[in-house]
Amino acid sequence: MNERPAPDDRLSAYLDGELDLAERQAVESYLAESAEWRVELEEVAWARDALRSLPVREAPPGFWDAALAPQLTEARARRARRVPRIAGLGAAAAAVAAVVTAALVVPSPDRVTPKVPAVADAHAVRASVSDDPVSRLATLSVVTPPRR
Amino acid sequence: MAGGVPTWEEVARDHGRFLYNVAYRLAGNDSDAQDLVQEALLRVRKGLERYQPGSLEGWLARIVTNVFLDEVRRRRRRPADALPDDPDWVLPPSPPADEVQTGLSDDVQAAINSLPNEFRTAVVLCDIADRPYEEIAEALGVPVGTVRSRIHRGRRLLRRALVNTGESA
Repeated sequence: MNERPAPDDRLSAYLDGELDLAERQAVESYLAESAEWRVELEEVAWARDALRSLPVREAPPGFWDAALAPQLTEARARRARRVPRIAGLGAAAAAVAAVVTAALVVPSPDRVTPKVPAVADAHAVRASVSDDPVSRLATLSVVTPPRR
Repeated sequence: MAGGVPTWEEVARDHGRFLYNVAYRLAGNDSDAQDLVQEALLRVRKGLERYQPGSLEGWLARIVTNVFLDEVRRRRRRPADALPDDPDWVLPPSPPADEVQTGLSDDVQAAINSLPNEFRTAVVLCDIADRPYEEIAEALGVPVGTVRSRIHRGRRLLRRALVNTGESA
C-alpha cells in the first residue's frame, strides 16, 4: 500500500485547474481519504478567494490625465512639425511643376528661330513695290521664287 | 489597432485599469503604484514594436512585475530609499484615515505586503492578474514547478497573516 504524502502544492494547482489528469486523480483520492488534505484545501481556497475578491484598485483622480499628458503633448508637437514639412513638400512640388511646365510651354530655341526664307520672301514682296534700294539687294539672297 | 498590435494610447486607455490594479497590489500603496505604472507605460511604448499579438494583459502583467522587481533591487542597492524597518520593501506607509477603504480589503492588502517578494509576485500574477502558471513562470524566469510551490506557499502565508490580524484585532 502506498503511503499518502503530506498535503502539498498540488492543492493550489488543483484549485487553479493546473494539474494533469493523473495528478488530479491522485489529489482527489487523497482528499477523499484524508481530513488533513481537506483542511489544507479549505485554507488555501479561503486565501485564494480573499485575493480574488479584492476590488479593482482605481488610480487616483487625475492620474491618467497626468500620465497621458506628455504623450498628448508629444503627439501635438509631431502634428505641428508635420505642417511645415507638408508646406515644404508643396513648395518643392510647385517648383518641379514650374520646371516641367516651362519645358513644355516655353518655346525652345529651335521654335523661335526665324523662318529666314519666309521673312526674306515677305521682305522681297514689300521691296518690289517700295523701290527701296537696300531691299532690292535683299532679293538677291533669296533662293525661293517670288510669290505671285 | 493595426494588424493586431495596439497603439500606446489604446493600451493605456483599454488596459490602464488592469495595469494599475496589478501595480497597486504589488506595491501596496498608491504612490509607488503610480511610479510603477508610469515606468511600465514607458516600457510598453518602447516594446510595442516587438509585441507579438497574443495575451496583452499577460504581457502587461509581466512588464509591471519586472518594473516592480527592478525597483525592489534598486531600493536594496540604495537603502536610503527603502523603508526603515523593511529591507524587502513590503510595508506601505499607513494611509490617512479618510483613505481607508473597507477593513477586509485593507487587511488582505496588508497581508499581501507582508509576503516575501517571490511569493507576492506569484500570487498577484495568479490571483489578481489571473495569469496561468506557464505565463507566470515565463514572467518570473522560473520553472512551472517553482511557480506552483510559490503560489501555494504564498496563499498559506497570506492566510496565516490574515488569521493573525484577526486574532490581534
